[in-house]
Amino acid sequence: MNARRTVAVGALAAALLSGCATRAPEPGTSVAEARFDALVVPGRTTRAELLAAFGPTKTVVFDSGMAAWLYTAPAAGGGHAELVLLLGRDGIVKKMRKRPPYPTDPAP
Amino acid sequence: MRRPVSRRAAPALLGAVLAWTAHAQTAPAAANPSSQPAPAAGIQTVTVTYTRDPVDKSYRKMIRGMERFQREHALAPQATLRFRLLPRSPTVDMHGILLRVIGDHITVPVPVAPDNSFTLPRNEQALQEDAAVVANRKTTSMTWRAQVMTPGLPPGTRRLGDLRLECLVGMEAGLVSNSSPLFGWISNALTSPEQVCNSAEGNFLFFTERPVFAVTLRAGDRTEVLPFHFLYAGGDQTRDMLPFCDCQVLLDRTYYAPIWDRGWPDDTLVSFEFMDDAPETAP
Repeated sequence: MNARRTVAVGALAAALLSGCATRAPEPGTSVAEARFDALVVPGRTTRAELLAAFGPTKTVVFDSGMAAWLYTAPAAGGGHAELVLLLGRDGIVKKMRKRPPYPTDPAP
Repeated sequence: MRRPVSRRAAPALLGAVLAWTAHAQTAPAAANPSSQPAPAAGIQTVTVTYTRDPVDKSYRKMIRGMERFQREHALAPQATLRFRLLPRSPTVDMHGILLRVIGDHITVPVPVAPDNSFTLPRNEQALQEDAAVVANRKTTSMTWRAQVMTPGLPPGTRRLGDLRLECLVGMEAGLVSNSSPLFGWISNALTSPEQVCNSAEGNFLFFTERPVFAVTLRAGDRTEVLPFHFLYAGGDQTRDMLPFCDCQVLLDRTYYAPIWDRGWPDDTLVSFEFMDDAPETAP
């Protein structure tokens, strides 16, 4: 039994180590920030309008029915800004926020 | 892709899990008395009144977590330590949870506060008996965390040093709740608190009180919003992956804090915008 357990430990260790590998996070669809600002209005813009204007992007759907959508936009000084939307259960944009690139951000 | 510490090896380990299952199946008889022949005359029968679930929390490890808190108190000099139970399955009832420290010959009730936090009494007999900390819920229905809170912070904020200490204590105490006993076992074998809490690859998950939309760090003149992939366990969890993450039902409350980045001092204030916060309006 001990030998079998040792084999299992080795296999698991190898598998775990391989599972620890990371890769760069998947970015959201890149859009023009000015167009994004012109089209997206919290409380009014719908999921269908987002898809029509900017296409699908990175999305996280929660058990509550809410969803977070991530678009990106090229920033003037290099890097990219994050444009994050919160969509309600009704598919309407509830919140919007922007994250600018920071000097401490890792290089892409 | 960031991988939460609790599930990062899930797909790769599947084969090994099956191997372990096969191994475990070699000894089912002890758990199935009806399949056993009647004891021969002269053989003493032992009645087992409590069988430790392999996912129960180890009392010794949780005490070690408390000792770690004392050793590393400089990270959060004003803070106190509690432990906290959090939901993991969608159906678990988080009201009226009863918690006990159970050894071979000792049972110590542990009062649980309305917010499901608690402190653990030190009991030498329970330590000697390698007792377990057991809740009256299925072990996979909840997850556990250390809660290190500096008093007097602005509402809705945390302190980065507190979070650093929560990680160290939580890992030392073996609190991260995994889907399989195997995960806890292998995780403990290969991940020390230092490896998890001092590395950008440590991926220790924190939970907010309510669904979170943005996390901002402030230290002196420096202010930064955390990137999207620091929220929602990286934002790349699929439905089939979530059961392996102890963020399973807390995904919208989940975030990583850069506890490994010493460029942010311990006094860094971590503030949250919640999904249900009212939109800011112009004055």
